[in-house]
Amino acid sequence: MPEVNLNDPVDVLIIGAGASGAAVAWSLADTRMRIVCLEQGDWMKPSEYPTNGADWEIQQHAAFNIDPNKRGRDTDYPINNNESPISVVNFNGVGGGTILYAAHFPRLHPSDFKVKSLDGVADDWPISYDTLDPYFTQNDRMMGVSGLAGDPMYPPKQPPLPPIPMGRVGERLASGYNKLGWHWWPSDSAIISRPYQGRDKCLNLGPCMSGCSQGGKSSTDITYWPEAIRAGVELRTRCRVREITLGKNGLADGVIYYDEDGEECHQKAEVVVMACNGVGTPRILLNSKSSQFPDGLANHSGMLGKNLMFHPVGSAQGVFEENLGSHKGPQGCCILSKEFYETDLSRGFVRGYNMQITRGTGPFTTALHGYATGRIPWGADHHKTFQKHFDHVASIGILCEDLPELHNTVTLDPEWADSNGIPAAKINYTLSENSRKMLKHGVERAEEVLYAAGASEVASTELVQMAGWHLLGTARMGTDPDSSVVNPWGRSHDVKNLFIVDGSIFVTAGGLNPTSTIQALALYIADNMKKNLANLFD
Amino acid sequence: MNDTIIATDFPLTDAQRKKLGYLLNALIPASQDGHMPSAGELDLISYLEANAVDFLPVLLTILDDLDEEFLTDTPEEHHQGALALSHDNPARFQELIYQVYALYYQNPAVLEGIGAAAGPPFPQGNTVESGDLSLLDPVLAIAKSYRAVP
Repeated sequence: MPEVNLNDPVDVLIIGAGASGAAVAWSLADTRMRIVCLEQGDWMKPSEYPTNGADWEIQQHAAFNIDPNKRGRDTDYPINNNESPISVVNFNGVGGGTILYAAHFPRLHPSDFKVKSLDGVADDWPISYDTLDPYFTQNDRMMGVSGLAGDPMYPPKQPPLPPIPMGRVGERLASGYNKLGWHWWPSDSAIISRPYQGRDKCLNLGPCMSGCSQGGKSSTDITYWPEAIRAGVELRTRCRVREITLGKNGLADGVIYYDEDGEECHQKAEVVVMACNGVGTPRILLNSKSSQFPDGLANHSGMLGKNLMFHPVGSAQGVFEENLGSHKGPQGCCILSKEFYETDLSRGFVRGYNMQITRGTGPFTTALHGYATGRIPWGADHHKTFQKHFDHVASIGILCEDLPELHNTVTLDPEWADSNGIPAAKINYTLSENSRKMLKHGVERAEEVLYAAGASEVASTELVQMAGWHLLGTARMGTDPDSSVVNPWGRSHDVKNLFIVDGSIFVTAGGLNPTSTIQALALYIADNMKKNLANLFD
Repeated sequence: MNDTIIATDFPLTDAQRKKLGYLLNALIPASQDGHMPSAGELDLISYLEANAVDFLPVLLTILDDLDEEFLTDTPEEHHQGALALSHDNPARFQELIYQVYALYYQNPAVLEGIGAAAGPPFPQGNTVESGDLSLLDPVLAIAKSYRAVP
């Protein structure tokens, strides 16, 4: 397919090359339409990931920090978290958040799509688990997902690869769950446990959350994108979209963006697809004001930027006599428990959480975290307490379902801006009483498991501040144009050629890492676009 | 006072250099069994020059805040002096800890002492036991199931 000149209109313009943008690009590629994706970040170079160097732990706190405000990259945009107890975590580049994610890859449950019907809170999705099931499977194949079939907490499914190793951490914690008679299962992980589609298997480097030098972790720059580009999709990096422009016919007619040199460019397009996550997407749409849409494009409902959902995270860390070798192996993927996933009102809250067992950290992070928490002091006792913790800890993350609330928002910051002068995103978020109770319950149960598994000491954090990984709900899906931004297949109610395929269209959040569901949704929407090409804008 | 300049782009007086050594030894002393060096045995100045040059002036303010008696104090008094620094300016002390730990826990002798491999994780990787999946037998025996949807 010939490369498209900048001034030539394209058929489909995708904004964002992360989890959902890659999936939708790959799926639409077989239409042979002219497809361009604009990504504000760069292609990543695996040789530059921290685990290539002896200073790998230091780099995790610097150029590969999970906090975009601390990374110091001009490809990021700042996010004002000052009015939120949870700070946004993201990455901008080809692969997006999958570059720094832990690759914990569960699907939402069937019940997560029917929250209103089952529990009388929030809303039902206009689609079901069954709707997405074939796309979950397709996505598992494309990404390369390792896991174990037979989890009774899911409808039947078959991960394409066997599970990644549990290690002594997983075994130790599993024994604790078994003593209590609670559910656990090896995690579904977007990490390949066997050579797969030209990639070699995971080497258990450890710190997945600063990029995978080996390529064992399935980020979309090494899964979907190579195939999408081979199929003719053009991916332009260092192109930062400022706004979507509106034609006289009320349809989106393209975008204005800044190229690598800061030059303002206008790319015309027949269809615009947003794939910028639950903060980036409302940011661009809110910045796309016109006489028809004075409050932001596709925002007649007033729902754009509202109902922001994170997954509030609590944690408990146990110290064990046994050396668990816990700094080795994928840090965020081991086993998980859904014992408290579904609603039981006797617990004092509605909905639930998953318990994600995580491994330990490297020496520097162990020492630094130990200093911050007072568990590993400097001074005479430093060595003794360090040795007691290093490779001897296992942690449980409590990942809670957050319910949609109108007052939790993404807006444009009146003062902060990115390096191109585009207003930054501002987060206003309050932790609900329901989430507080859930976190407290979860942390107490995590402590119980750790002691049952043999921990000699347990220390807990009821709310982890730097854990806003999952950015959901800010352009919700629905059948009613007055209360939702997009229809049941991701098309804007207001602008018929504008689609949203990222986490912002979630109606509710579930209590599980969302990337698998985000990508299944993107594939589902792409499939619907293909099926309806003849009357896409009707 | 002998104000000898030591060989570095960032000059410390002899007194400052001694204070730094005592302070670092207070933060991370050598282990009693001799396996682990003290932080004072490592070259913090060269590390900062290469990796965190902005912290060098801050370090000077820390050393200047230690009075001259620190030079003749006992190790216990050095500990008390460091404690006072941590109370007087917690943010500055926190940054000092960050830099000292960064230096210390990249040192090959230290990594060997704690049983960790020196150097980068890639490409050699790590071996992790696959784990005993028969531990799942009790989970399957309980026969819990996902929540049905109407």
